Amino acid sequence: MAVTLGFYFDQTLCNGCKACQIACKDKHDTAIGVNWRRVAEYGGGTWQITGDTFSPNIFANYLTMACNHCDDAVCVDVCPTTAMHQREDGVVVVDDDLCVGCRYCEWSCPYSAPQYDAETGRMSKCDLCTDYREAGLDPACVAACPSRALDWGPIDELREQYGDVAGIAPLPDPSVTRPNLVIKPHHSAEPVGAATGAITNPREV
Amino acid sequence: MFTDLSMTVFSIFAQMSVGAFVVLGVVQVLARSRGGRSSEEIDRLTDPATYAVGVTLVLGLAASIFHLGTPMNAINVLRHLDASWLSREIAFGLGFAGLGFVFAATQYLKWGSPLLRQALAGLTALVGVGLVASMAMIYTTLEAVPAWNSWVTPVQFAITTLLLGSLAVGAAFMGTVMWRRRQMEQQGELPTTDARDLETITTSLKGIAVASILLLGAAFVVIPLHLNELSQGGATAVASAEVFSGAVFSLRLALVFLGAGLLGVLVYRFAARTHADPRPLAVVATVAFGLVFVGEFIGRWQFYESMTRIGM
Repeated sequence: MAVTLGFYFDQTLCNGCKACQIACKDKHDTAIGVNWRRVAEYGGGTWQITGDTFSPNIFANYLTMACNHCDDAVCVDVCPTTAMHQREDGVVVVDDDLCVGCRYCEWSCPYSAPQYDAETGRMSKCDLCTDYREAGLDPACVAACPSRALDWGPIDELREQYGDVAGIAPLPDPSVTRPNLVIKPHHSAEPVGAATGAITNPREV
Repeated sequence: MFTDLSMTVFSIFAQMSVGAFVVLGVVQVLARSRGGRSSEEIDRLTDPATYAVGVTLVLGLAASIFHLGTPMNAINVLRHLDASWLSREIAFGLGFAGLGFVFAATQYLKWGSPLLRQALAGLTALVGVGLVASMAMIYTTLEAVPAWNSWVTPVQFAITTLLLGSLAVGAAFMGTVMWRRRQMEQQGELPTTDARDLETITTSLKGIAVASILLLGAAFVVIPLHLNELSQGGATAVASAEVFSGAVFSLRLALVFLGAGLLGVLVYRFAARTHADPRPLAVVATVAFGLVFVGEFIGRWQFYESMTRIGM
């Protein structure tokens, strides 16, 4: 069995600069509206009442997200053409020769990983920068992060080093697709299912 | 937007085709069991509607092509039958179309015994039910889309299938009657319809009227239950229910109510009386179908609009 790869994201270090998103876009030259990596601004808050005084009690954090090359990759299951497939290293990729552009994988993914490219009429997605890795480089998003919040590698090693948190709001419960993702949550991060906040830049993600 | 339109046209036409085919089968079985009529006589009434099913099915399948980004790769959608409900949907769709075509051809050319043709029709109907079931599975199994990931999806698909199928058959029967009378008029004859044919048709229309009223009731029970389910789900579920509000949603409810309910009552009343002139029944049956078709079309459009995913 080959080593399964995944991403690590240290949310406590992320300042929401979106360099990862732009590095990805630049590297893969994706079309307008196609963004394999996106950064969500997640925020919320309540009023803290002390006597007659109301003061805001608010929070905000950032969450960068690309494909998590899930163990239960639902996009691979639903794809009618088998174009969406998982390589031995767990990386999920699209075979352009097979893809029909029906967008069923897009509907199925709670991480918005498969994205439709109107120019090619096919689905497109993160391949964990296969060519860079073969050349001994880090994926573009990982290399671009100025605060070193992103990392990648064999998921077993990432989990051993950083723990196994993969589900914080606004992400889905990890049981849905079993993502190969490890997150070190920000102190204000909310757990899945107990979320009070919302994505504050919905049009960007 | 355009992809939504092609999916709406495809799913509505495919389900209407399956529903009409099943309803025609029920009419056949009931008309035979009542006795007194030969299979040729019954075929003469149902065959034009059967051929019309072929037209609507081909229209639907053609519309589905416009949903694809790379239609040249369309044949690949049959490659994942062991896991993908979309593959299975297309397999059932092609099976229904193929068997339906063979059945229509044997009916037209009078090939094989009536029993053989009935068996073929039964098999075709079963594959059609498989088509609607696999369509429902495509959506109801998607955990990422709360509005679809519900028991409501298969139930609503079944209601649409039977409601549109019933009313389409009613309209097609009356269309056939009126068309034949018009041909007689054009040949200078007095337009008449065989009394026993008319009896079979009005009996069918009465059944269709009752069925449409019952299905309307079922639809109007399911809709609030669905909204209730979404309102108690997470933030995404609540957001996806937003589309089911406002003028367009109200219009959909009103059209289905008017077509299946109010006109259903009129269809029953007109069909229950023997008329020298079948025109009023033809008009009411056609308008009822038209209103429900538009209402269901809007409903399916909003079904696709309600696609809001969990996560980010």
